[in-house]
Amino acid sequence: MRWFRADLHIHSALSPCGSLAMSPQRIVEEARKAGLSLIAICDHNAGENGVYARRIAREFPVVLMGMEIQTSEEVEILAVFPEEEACLALQEELYALLPPIPNDPELFGDQVVVDENEEIVRTVDKLLLSPVPLSLEEVVRRVEDRGGLVIPAHVDRVPGGLLGVLGFFPPGEWRAVEVSPWTELSEALKIWPELGGRVILRFSDAHYPEEIGRAWTDLFLREPSFSELLLAIRGEGGRQVRPSPPLKEGR
Amino acid sequence: MKLREVAEKLGLEFLVAAAPEAEVEGGYVSDLLSDVLANAQPKQLWITHQRHLNVVAVAKLRELSGVVFARGIRPGPEVIQKAREEGLNLLISPADAFETAGRLHRLLFP
Repeated sequence: MRWFRADLHIHSALSPCGSLAMSPQRIVEEARKAGLSLIAICDHNAGENGVYARRIAREFPVVLMGMEIQTSEEVEILAVFPEEEACLALQEELYALLPPIPNDPELFGDQVVVDENEEIVRTVDKLLLSPVPLSLEEVVRRVEDRGGLVIPAHVDRVPGGLLGVLGFFPPGEWRAVEVSPWTELSEALKIWPELGGRVILRFSDAHYPEEIGRAWTDLFLREPSFSELLLAIRGEGGRQVRPSPPLKEGR
Repeated sequence: MKLREVAEKLGLEFLVAAAPEAEVEGGYVSDLLSDVLANAQPKQLWITHQRHLNVVAVAKLRELSGVVFARGIRPGPEVIQKAREEGLNLLISPADAFETAGRLHRLLFP
Protein backbone atom coordinates (compact mmCIF):
# COMPACT_ATOMS: atom_id res chain seq x y z
CA MET A 1 0.00 0.00 0.00
CA ARG A 2 1.03 3.58 -0.50
CA TRP A 3 -0.30 7.15 -0.33
CA PHE A 4 -2.49 8.43 -3.16
CA ARG A 5 -3.71 12.01 -3.44
CA ALA A 6 -7.47 12.48 -3.95
CA ASP A 7 -9.78 15.38 -4.81
CA LEU A 8 -13.40 14.31 -5.07
CA HIS A 9 -14.96 17.76 -5.26
CA ILE A 10 -14.15 19.49 -8.55
CA HIS A 11 -16.71 21.49 -10.52
CA SER A 12 -16.69 21.62 -14.32
CA ALA A 13 -18.25 23.84 -16.97
CA LEU A 14 -21.51 21.98 -16.32
CA SER A 15 -21.93 23.91 -13.08
CA PRO A 16 -23.18 27.43 -13.83
CA CYS A 17 -20.72 28.73 -11.24
CA GLY A 18 -17.89 26.66 -12.73
CA SER A 19 -15.55 28.35 -15.18
CA LEU A 20 -16.09 27.62 -18.87
CA ALA A 21 -12.39 26.74 -18.89
CA MET A 22 -13.20 23.71 -16.72
CA SER A 23 -13.55 21.22 -19.56
CA PRO A 24 -12.96 17.55 -18.74
CA GLN A 25 -9.69 17.78 -20.71
CA ARG A 26 -8.44 20.75 -18.69
CA ILE A 27 -9.50 19.19 -15.38
CA VAL A 28 -7.57 16.01 -16.18
CA GLU A 29 -4.48 18.03 -17.16
CA GLU A 30 -4.61 20.10 -13.97
CA ALA A 31 -5.22 17.02 -11.84
CA ARG A 32 -2.11 15.38 -13.32
CA LYS A 33 -0.06 18.51 -12.64
CA ALA A 34 -1.33 18.53 -9.05
CA GLY A 35 -0.26 14.92 -8.55
CA LEU A 36 -3.79 13.64 -8.02
CA SER A 37 -4.43 9.92 -8.42
CA LEU A 38 -8.15 9.86 -7.68
CA ILE A 39 -10.65 12.57 -8.64
CA ALA A 40 -14.38 13.11 -9.09
CA ILE A 41 -16.18 15.86 -10.97
CA CYS A 42 -19.12 16.83 -8.78
CA ASP A 43 -21.31 19.37 -10.53
CA HIS A 44 -24.50 20.73 -9.01
CA ASN A 45 -27.14 18.02 -9.38
CA ALA A 46 -25.27 16.64 -12.41
CA GLY A 47 -22.43 14.25 -13.18
CA GLU A 48 -22.23 13.93 -16.94
CA ASN A 49 -18.85 15.52 -17.59
CA GLY A 50 -17.31 12.70 -15.56
CA VAL A 51 -17.99 10.37 -18.49
CA TYR A 52 -15.66 12.37 -20.75
CA ALA A 53 -13.05 12.92 -18.06
CA ARG A 54 -12.83 9.13 -17.69
CA ARG A 55 -12.25 8.69 -21.43
CA ILE A 56 -9.54 11.34 -21.42
CA ALA A 57 -7.79 10.29 -18.22
CA ARG A 58 -7.66 6.52 -18.90
CA GLU A 59 -7.19 5.95 -15.18
CA PHE A 60 -4.42 8.53 -14.94
CA PRO A 61 -5.87 9.81 -12.69
CA VAL A 62 -8.72 7.46 -11.81
CA VAL A 63 -11.97 9.40 -12.26
CA LEU A 64 -14.95 8.44 -10.12
CA MET A 65 -18.42 9.58 -11.09
CA GLY A 66 -20.01 12.16 -8.83
CA MET A 67 -22.52 14.91 -8.18
CA GLU A 68 -23.04 17.61 -5.62
CA ILE A 69 -26.72 17.27 -4.79
CA GLN A 70 -28.62 20.09 -3.11
CA THR A 71 -31.51 18.80 -0.97
CA SER A 72 -34.77 20.58 -0.17
CA GLU A 73 -33.24 21.74 3.14
CA GLU A 74 -30.52 23.38 0.99
CA VAL A 75 -27.93 20.97 2.35
CA GLU A 76 -25.28 19.93 -0.18
CA ILE A 77 -23.93 16.41 -0.33
CA LEU A 78 -21.36 14.76 -2.55
CA ALA A 79 -22.61 11.56 -4.11
CA VAL A 80 -19.75 9.44 -5.48
CA PHE A 81 -20.23 6.39 -7.67
CA PRO A 82 -17.88 3.75 -9.07
CA GLU A 83 -19.79 3.43 -12.35
CA GLU A 84 -21.35 5.75 -14.90
CA GLU A 85 -24.73 4.09 -15.17
CA ALA A 86 -25.88 4.61 -11.59
CA CYS A 87 -24.71 8.22 -11.53
CA LEU A 88 -26.31 9.14 -14.85
CA ALA A 89 -29.57 7.43 -13.93
CA LEU A 90 -29.77 9.45 -10.72
CA GLN A 91 -28.80 12.62 -12.62
CA GLU A 92 -31.76 12.06 -14.94
CA GLU A 93 -34.09 11.37 -12.03
CA LEU A 94 -33.03 14.58 -10.28
CA TYR A 95 -33.22 16.67 -13.44
CA ALA A 96 -36.86 15.71 -13.96
CA LEU A 97 -37.59 16.87 -10.41
CA LEU A 98 -35.76 20.19 -10.62
CA PRO A 99 -38.07 23.23 -10.75
CA PRO A 100 -38.63 24.53 -14.29
CA ILE A 101 -36.44 27.59 -13.78
CA PRO A 102 -34.35 28.14 -16.92
CA ASN A 103 -30.67 28.97 -16.52
CA ASP A 104 -29.77 32.51 -17.53
CA PRO A 105 -26.13 32.14 -18.65
CA GLU A 106 -25.61 35.92 -18.38
CA LEU A 107 -26.49 35.80 -14.70
CA PHE A 108 -25.33 32.39 -13.55
CA GLY A 109 -22.90 31.15 -16.21
CA ASP A 110 -23.08 28.41 -18.83
CA GLN A 111 -24.06 24.81 -18.09
CA VAL A 112 -22.37 22.73 -20.75
CA VAL A 113 -21.44 19.11 -21.31
CA VAL A 114 -18.05 19.02 -23.06
CA ASP A 115 -16.62 15.90 -24.70
CA GLU A 116 -13.10 14.52 -25.07
CA ASN A 117 -12.52 16.65 -28.19
CA GLU A 118 -13.36 19.86 -26.31
CA GLU A 119 -16.66 20.07 -28.25
CA ILE A 120 -19.87 21.14 -26.52
CA VAL A 121 -22.17 18.10 -26.55
CA ARG A 122 -25.17 19.94 -25.16
CA THR A 123 -26.32 22.83 -23.04
CA VAL A 124 -28.47 22.08 -19.99
CA ASP A 125 -31.60 24.25 -19.87
CA LYS A 126 -32.90 24.13 -16.30
CA LEU A 127 -30.89 25.96 -13.65
CA LEU A 128 -28.84 23.30 -11.86
CA LEU A 129 -28.28 25.54 -8.83
CA SER A 130 -31.82 24.87 -7.59
CA PRO A 131 -32.36 22.37 -4.77
CA VAL A 132 -34.11 19.14 -5.74
CA PRO A 133 -37.49 18.76 -4.02
CA LEU A 134 -36.30 15.76 -1.99
CA SER A 135 -35.39 15.68 1.70
CA LEU A 136 -31.84 14.94 2.78
CA GLU A 137 -32.98 11.55 4.03
CA GLU A 138 -34.56 10.72 0.67
CA VAL A 139 -31.50 11.87 -1.30
CA VAL A 140 -29.22 9.73 0.87
CA ARG A 141 -31.52 6.76 0.31
CA ARG A 142 -31.52 7.21 -3.48
CA VAL A 143 -27.72 7.55 -3.63
CA GLU A 144 -27.07 4.54 -1.41
CA ASP A 145 -29.69 2.42 -3.19
CA ARG A 146 -27.66 2.91 -6.36
CA GLY A 147 -24.42 1.92 -4.68
CA GLY A 148 -23.11 5.44 -4.16
CA LEU A 149 -21.12 6.95 -1.30
CA VAL A 150 -22.59 9.97 0.50
CA ILE A 151 -20.22 12.63 1.82
CA PRO A 152 -21.83 15.79 3.26
CA ALA A 153 -20.04 18.64 1.44
CA HIS A 154 -18.20 21.41 3.35
CA VAL A 155 -20.25 20.49 6.46
CA ASP A 156 -19.23 23.57 8.40
CA ARG A 157 -20.14 26.07 5.71
CA VAL A 158 -23.08 28.46 5.54
CA PRO A 159 -24.76 28.17 3.15
CA GLY A 160 -24.96 24.55 2.05
CA GLY A 161 -23.10 22.67 4.78
CA LEU A 162 -25.05 20.06 6.74
CA LEU A 163 -23.98 21.41 10.14
CA GLY A 164 -24.28 25.02 9.04
CA VAL A 165 -27.85 24.52 7.86
CA LEU A 166 -29.18 21.81 10.19
CA GLY A 167 -27.19 22.64 13.33
CA PHE A 168 -26.24 19.03 14.11
CA PHE A 169 -26.17 15.61 12.45
CA PRO A 170 -29.62 14.08 11.97
CA PRO A 171 -29.88 10.31 12.63
CA GLY A 172 -27.54 8.35 10.35
CA GLU A 173 -23.94 7.23 10.33
CA TRP A 174 -22.28 10.20 8.57
CA ARG A 175 -18.97 8.43 8.85
CA ALA A 176 -17.08 10.58 6.34
CA VAL A 177 -17.59 14.32 5.94
CA GLU A 178 -15.90 17.01 3.86
CA VAL A 179 -14.74 20.26 5.43
CA SER A 180 -14.10 23.49 3.52
CA PRO A 181 -10.62 24.15 2.12
CA TRP A 182 -10.16 26.90 4.73
CA THR A 183 -11.44 25.09 7.81
CA GLU A 184 -9.02 24.81 10.73
CA LEU A 185 -9.86 21.38 12.13
CA SER A 186 -9.13 22.22 15.78
CA GLU A 187 -11.48 25.20 15.59
CA ALA A 188 -14.18 23.28 13.76
CA LEU A 189 -14.06 20.64 16.50
CA LYS A 190 -14.64 23.33 19.12
CA ILE A 191 -17.74 24.60 17.33
CA TRP A 192 -18.96 21.14 16.24
CA PRO A 193 -17.77 18.57 18.78
CA GLU A 194 -19.81 15.96 16.90
CA LEU A 195 -17.16 16.06 14.14
CA GLY A 196 -14.93 14.11 16.52
CA GLY A 197 -14.48 10.46 15.62
CA ARG A 198 -15.55 10.98 12.01
CA VAL A 199 -13.40 10.66 8.92
CA ILE A 200 -12.55 14.21 7.85
CA LEU A 201 -11.93 14.76 4.16
CA ARG A 202 -10.81 17.96 2.52
CA PHE A 203 -11.20 18.67 -1.19
CA SER A 204 -10.65 21.72 -3.41
CA ASP A 205 -14.26 22.56 -4.40
CA ALA A 206 -12.47 24.00 -7.44
CA HIS A 207 -14.49 26.14 -9.84
CA TYR A 208 -11.43 27.42 -11.77
CA PRO A 209 -8.47 25.46 -13.19
CA GLU A 210 -5.95 27.08 -10.85
CA GLU A 211 -7.96 25.94 -7.82
CA ILE A 212 -7.37 22.26 -8.56
CA GLY A 213 -4.72 21.09 -6.13
CA ARG A 214 -5.33 23.79 -3.51
CA ALA A 215 -6.80 21.25 -1.07
CA TRP A 216 -6.86 17.45 -1.13
CA THR A 217 -6.93 14.29 0.95
CA ASP A 218 -4.14 11.72 0.98
CA LEU A 219 -5.34 8.14 1.14
CA PHE A 220 -3.16 5.15 2.11
CA LEU A 221 -4.49 2.46 -0.22
CA ARG A 222 -3.67 -0.58 -2.28
CA GLU A 223 -4.77 1.29 -5.42
CA PRO A 224 -6.83 4.41 -6.19
CA SER A 225 -10.35 2.99 -6.57
CA PHE A 226 -13.88 3.35 -5.23
CA SER A 227 -13.73 0.13 -3.22
CA GLU A 228 -10.39 1.09 -1.66
CA LEU A 229 -11.83 4.51 -0.79
CA LEU A 230 -14.70 2.81 1.07
CA LEU A 231 -12.23 0.60 2.95
CA ALA A 232 -10.15 3.64 3.90
CA ILE A 233 -13.23 5.39 5.26
CA ARG A 234 -13.91 2.25 7.32
CA GLY A 235 -10.26 2.29 8.45
CA GLU A 236 -9.82 -1.31 7.37
CA GLY A 237 -6.58 -3.20 6.79
CA GLY A 238 -4.26 -0.36 7.80
CA ARG A 239 -5.71 2.06 5.24
CA GLN A 240 -5.49 5.71 6.28
CA VAL A 241 -7.00 9.10 5.49
CA ARG A 242 -5.07 12.34 5.88
CA PRO A 243 -6.61 15.68 4.80
CA SER A 244 -4.37 18.50 3.57
CA PRO A 245 -3.68 21.51 5.83
CA PRO A 246 -6.22 24.36 5.60
CA LEU A 247 -5.82 27.09 3.02
CA LYS A 248 -4.83 30.39 4.54
CA GLU A 249 -6.17 32.78 1.92
CA GLY A 250 -8.21 33.18 -1.22
CA ARG A 251 -11.53 32.60 0.45
CA MET B 1 -48.74 37.67 25.16
CA LYS B 2 -50.05 34.10 25.18
CA LEU B 3 -49.42 32.05 22.05
CA ARG B 4 -53.15 31.28 21.76
CA GLU B 5 -53.90 35.00 21.45
CA VAL B 6 -51.04 35.57 19.00
CA ALA B 7 -52.36 32.73 16.84
CA GLU B 8 -55.88 34.17 16.84
CA LYS B 9 -54.78 37.67 15.92
CA LEU B 10 -52.34 36.53 13.21
CA GLY B 11 -54.58 33.83 11.76
CA LEU B 12 -52.14 31.02 12.53
CA GLU B 13 -53.32 27.43 12.46
CA PHE B 14 -52.14 25.14 15.29
CA LEU B 15 -50.61 21.92 13.94
CA VAL B 16 -49.52 20.86 17.41
CA ALA B 17 -51.02 22.76 20.33
CA ALA B 18 -48.75 21.36 23.00
CA ALA B 19 -48.78 24.43 25.24
CA PRO B 20 -50.99 27.16 23.75
CA GLU B 21 -50.71 29.22 26.94
CA ALA B 22 -46.95 29.62 26.38
CA GLU B 23 -45.72 33.18 26.63
CA VAL B 24 -44.47 34.90 23.45
CA GLU B 25 -42.00 37.72 24.08
CA GLY B 26 -40.58 38.18 20.61
CA GLY B 27 -39.84 36.54 17.30
CA TYR B 28 -36.96 35.13 15.29
CA VAL B 29 -36.87 34.54 11.53
CA SER B 30 -34.33 32.10 10.11
CA ASP B 31 -34.01 28.97 8.01
CA LEU B 32 -30.53 28.11 9.26
CA LEU B 33 -30.73 25.93 12.36
CA SER B 34 -27.16 26.74 13.35
CA ASP B 35 -28.14 30.42 13.36
CA VAL B 36 -31.19 29.74 15.53
CA LEU B 37 -29.09 27.63 17.90
CA ALA B 38 -26.62 30.46 18.30
CA ASN B 39 -28.91 33.49 18.35
CA ALA B 40 -32.59 32.83 19.13
CA GLN B 41 -33.76 33.73 22.63
CA PRO B 42 -36.14 31.85 24.94
CA LYS B 43 -39.87 32.65 24.52
CA GLN B 44 -39.43 33.82 20.95
CA LEU B 45 -41.73 32.56 18.23
CA TRP B 46 -39.63 31.15 15.40
CA ILE B 47 -40.78 31.79 11.83
CA THR B 48 -39.16 29.52 9.25
CA HIS B 49 -39.32 27.65 5.94
CA GLN B 50 -37.08 24.88 7.25
CA ARG B 51 -38.98 21.58 7.53
CA HIS B 52 -36.24 19.24 8.66
CA LEU B 53 -36.82 17.15 11.80
CA ASN B 54 -33.95 18.97 13.57
CA VAL B 55 -36.28 21.99 13.84
CA VAL B 56 -37.98 20.36 16.82
CA ALA B 57 -34.80 19.73 18.78
CA VAL B 58 -33.42 23.20 18.06
CA ALA B 59 -36.67 24.90 19.17
CA LYS B 60 -36.74 22.86 22.39
CA LEU B 61 -33.09 23.53 23.08
CA ARG B 62 -33.55 27.27 22.72
CA GLU B 63 -36.80 27.14 24.75
CA LEU B 64 -38.77 28.88 22.01
CA SER B 65 -42.49 29.34 22.48
CA GLY B 66 -43.25 27.68 19.16
CA VAL B 67 -42.41 27.26 15.47
CA VAL B 68 -44.42 28.94 12.73
CA PHE B 69 -44.06 27.57 9.20
CA ALA B 70 -44.51 30.49 6.82
CA ARG B 71 -46.36 30.60 3.50
CA GLY B 72 -48.56 27.64 4.36
CA ILE B 73 -45.61 25.24 4.42
CA ARG B 74 -46.57 21.96 6.06
CA PRO B 75 -43.88 19.82 7.72
CA GLY B 76 -43.88 16.03 7.35
CA PRO B 77 -45.63 13.65 9.76
CA GLU B 78 -42.37 12.77 11.53
CA VAL B 79 -41.91 16.44 12.50
CA ILE B 80 -45.45 16.65 13.86
CA GLN B 81 -45.01 13.37 15.74
CA LYS B 82 -41.73 14.52 17.25
CA ALA B 83 -43.22 17.89 18.27
CA ARG B 84 -46.07 16.06 20.05
CA GLU B 85 -43.58 13.88 21.90
CA GLU B 86 -41.44 16.85 22.87
CA GLY B 87 -44.35 19.13 23.73
CA LEU B 88 -43.48 21.78 21.14
CA ASN B 89 -46.08 24.12 19.62
CA LEU B 90 -46.19 24.01 15.81
CA LEU B 91 -48.20 26.46 13.76
CA ILE B 92 -48.76 27.33 10.11
CA SER B 93 -49.09 30.85 8.79
CA PRO B 94 -50.87 31.30 5.48
CA ALA B 95 -48.92 34.55 5.04
CA ASP B 96 -45.27 34.67 3.98
CA ALA B 97 -42.43 35.17 6.47
CA PHE B 98 -42.18 38.94 5.94
CA GLU B 99 -45.89 39.47 6.47
CA THR B 100 -46.04 37.10 9.45
CA ALA B 101 -43.04 38.66 11.16
CA GLY B 102 -44.30 42.17 10.46
CA ARG B 103 -47.68 41.47 11.97
CA LEU B 104 -46.15 39.72 14.98
CA HIS B 105 -43.88 42.69 15.59
CA ARG B 106 -46.79 45.12 15.42
CA LEU B 107 -48.79 42.96 17.80
CA LEU B 108 -46.03 42.58 20.40
CA PHE B 109 -44.46 46.02 20.13
CA PRO B 110 -47.28 48.36 19.10
